[in-house]
Amino acid sequence: MLPFIILGLSAGAAYALASIGIVLTYKTTGIFNFAYAGVAMFCAYVFWQLRDRWHLTQWLALPLLLLVVAPLLGVILESLFRLLAATTVEVQIVVSLGLLAFFTTFVTIIWGGNPRLLTSIFPSGKFSPAHDVYVTGDQAGTFLLALAMAGGLYVVLNRTRLGTATRAVVDNRDLAGLVGANANAVGQSAWIISTIFAAMAGVMLSTEEGLVTYVLPALVFFSFAPAVLGRLVNLPLAFVGAIGLGLLDSILAKYNSSGTLAKIETSIPYLALFLLLVAYGRRLTEVRSSLRATGGSRVVVHTGWRNLGWGVAAIIIAVAVVPHAFGASTIQAFAQAMAYAVVALTLVVLTGWTGQISIAQMSFAGIGAFVAAHIAGTNGGLFPLAVLVGIAVAVPVSLVIGIPSLRLSGLFLALATMAFALLMDKLVFASNSITGGLTGLNLTAAKIGPLSFASPTAQFYLCLIALSLAGLGAFWLRQGPIGRRLQMVRDSPNATVTLGASLTATKLAVFAACSAVAAIGGALLAVTQATVVPSNFSFDTSLELLLVVVVGGRSLISGAVIAGGFDLVQLLPLPAAVDKYLPLGIAFSVVAIAREPDGLGRVMVRQLSYALDVLYRRARRPASPPLRRTAPRLVRQKAANRA
Amino acid sequence: MPEPLLRANAVTVTFGGLIALSEVDLEVAPTGITGLIGPNGAGKTTMFNVITGLQRPTGGTVHYDGHDIRRWAPQRRARAGMSRTFQRLEMFVGMSVRDNLRSAWEASVPGGVFGRQAAAGRETVEEILSRLQLHSFADRRAGELPTGICRMVELGRALCTRPRLLLLDEPSSGLDAGETARFQDLLVETTSGDGLGPAVLLVEHDVRLVMDVCQQITVLDFGRRIAAGPPAEVRKDPAVIAAYLGESAA
Repeated sequence: MLPFIILGLSAGAAYALASIGIVLTYKTTGIFNFAYAGVAMFCAYVFWQLRDRWHLTQWLALPLLLLVVAPLLGVILESLFRLLAATTVEVQIVVSLGLLAFFTTFVTIIWGGNPRLLTSIFPSGKFSPAHDVYVTGDQAGTFLLALAMAGGLYVVLNRTRLGTATRAVVDNRDLAGLVGANANAVGQSAWIISTIFAAMAGVMLSTEEGLVTYVLPALVFFSFAPAVLGRLVNLPLAFVGAIGLGLLDSILAKYNSSGTLAKIETSIPYLALFLLLVAYGRRLTEVRSSLRATGGSRVVVHTGWRNLGWGVAAIIIAVAVVPHAFGASTIQAFAQAMAYAVVALTLVVLTGWTGQISIAQMSFAGIGAFVAAHIAGTNGGLFPLAVLVGIAVAVPVSLVIGIPSLRLSGLFLALATMAFALLMDKLVFASNSITGGLTGLNLTAAKIGPLSFASPTAQFYLCLIALSLAGLGAFWLRQGPIGRRLQMVRDSPNATVTLGASLTATKLAVFAACSAVAAIGGALLAVTQATVVPSNFSFDTSLELLLVVVVGGRSLISGAVIAGGFDLVQLLPLPAAVDKYLPLGIAFSVVAIAREPDGLGRVMVRQLSYALDVLYRRARRPASPPLRRTAPRLVRQKAANRA
Repeated sequence: MPEPLLRANAVTVTFGGLIALSEVDLEVAPTGITGLIGPNGAGKTTMFNVITGLQRPTGGTVHYDGHDIRRWAPQRRARAGMSRTFQRLEMFVGMSVRDNLRSAWEASVPGGVFGRQAAAGRETVEEILSRLQLHSFADRRAGELPTGICRMVELGRALCTRPRLLLLDEPSSGLDAGETARFQDLLVETTSGDGLGPAVLLVEHDVRLVMDVCQQITVLDFGRRIAAGPPAEVRKDPAVIAAYLGESAA
């Protein structure tokens, strides 16, 4: 048992640093940093570059990382988020998710996807504190260093002027400003410290698991649960929680190395995160007091009947062109893109219209897809039934996620959906009996009554009709009383409840409806992909879809269509470089335009028309009028007198 | 005096160490206008929040129409006929004025969100738009209107729910003299015109307005009730004069 406790303590210590870093920036600046995993990974790679690639001695590389790179990154992040201080929570979440994607893709571009080994920063060798028990230098070092860093932070917060100012700012940002505490400086220090902790956690976790782009972020996500245990504000509790999580994880590993329990073991942090949301309930409140958005939400334009005309035109063009002009594989790609657009549409309704961030829409789609493959895989005629069953599974699941988290503010739905998506990856999609493993399940010939959807053209029409119906449904929703209800909830929750509408019921209904539609979209994806593979419905794909919806325009139905259209990029004969940099570009665009609910297209049109306008006016501007050559009054007076 | 529509007993609210309300009693008659006045920070808006359910009191009871409503959610209180405006405007800024009113009506009617009885709702909305002379602004977006109009829209929104108890939080702040006078007429007309109008609880800084329209007044200072009674009595109360009105009003 003792060896596992030692192992757990050292792993927990690394999580603890990350949890503390997350809590610190949240409680001082109100930003929950989803990008923390990306930052930690980036820093770990920088350390590898400095020490192992450029062969700097560790005593140079580590200070460079912790005292130069990390603080610099912290300052950059702080100034970025300060720009967003007065925006809505949902914008801040989107930006930090965009940053997460930015860092992960950036690291892949710079250092490639190959796993690397990072040797420990601590001396190798081991010692034996008791009979038959060995502690490696890495384990002891990790634990002691984490303890020292956490203790150092404790001293800073409780014994120094910076600590006093920090507590003042946490207590009441405006008041602290009035009595002379510099809230911005406090925020900046918090971000710097937080990023240093991220760097250290990244290095520690990488020595344990190796530098692997698709493993490291998940490890850092482990630290979200301890942060929530501290209700996102309590640093000691977050520290203790992280150590406890490390211990629990390690002790469970002792009792099972394979099978179902092993799967549960790897998903414990996400399960814990979700259970904590349930357990704390309304005691989880957001810290930001006066920083709350002042101008209300940016207005979501009513869609208007003219836009419906554009939609109809697009459908007519699609019908007239696609099935006739392209080959089978392209037609199928179009069908698939439209299936994605159906799922993306749910994100428009959730994120754009109700201000809720869900990072699990592809998981709901996955429910629809795998249920469809199971039921209609061998007998295509059961496809309609399969879709209904998919909905029947997705909706209760969405209620389980929604009921505890939707009573709380937006951040907690984002966290709950994130935990759900990661849980689905670990528990459901990783299970061979459910998903058929890496090769997936087949769904070759779906049928609705006498109509078969085996051919790409038939799939194209199926998806087109589904997308049109979903779009029309969303349009109708937006125009009518339900659209008004959503806008009420967004604009003023206080006024909404005092007029007699229930916030939770509204949000929950929308969330459940969106998960149902996502499940339908998933079933369509299953039809167009023929083989349903788990990796197509992972947390990463949910995150990607959210980001492309933000770029496409999260308040517009057309934004969902654009988001689906990103899937068509694979058809274009683009140079490899574009392929490589596109995700980075998307992530970057999200960070840049998160405030604009209408997406990149609208922003570009607006900027272009502004630029044209300026140029036009400059061209038309008459030459400046001649200065009046009139003498001053006194001179004129004198002249008159003389006359 | 008839049984009051709303009765608050010994309501106490503390925020950490700060005592916002301390054992405040308040009664609102089923008809007419009751005033709630006091200097800034006296706890008037907190009292409103307690009554409408946005703020859970630390102690004390609130009875509405004979029911103990301490555990009622805000929306349940609204459905039972309470409606309020806000001192800091809480408009649905993304909607037109007409939609602001219409959504309020929909929120107050069971099934309203599914468009049931939509025709009746439209009628109510148009009627209130014209009563408040808001027709010329009906299609303007609420976010782009001046404060004076916004106050009217909030009042209209509250009226759309057909309230039995209307709580108005400083409705005349930000209004000029002309607008205030018009508002006063409206208020009197709305409440007492046919005897069927809602009871009103009015928080207001404009002392003249309060003295003119209210039948009963409760005065708060530093979270305590320092006086209650008809305007003529309250006006002469030495504690009120010292705390709030000043010598000139007496």
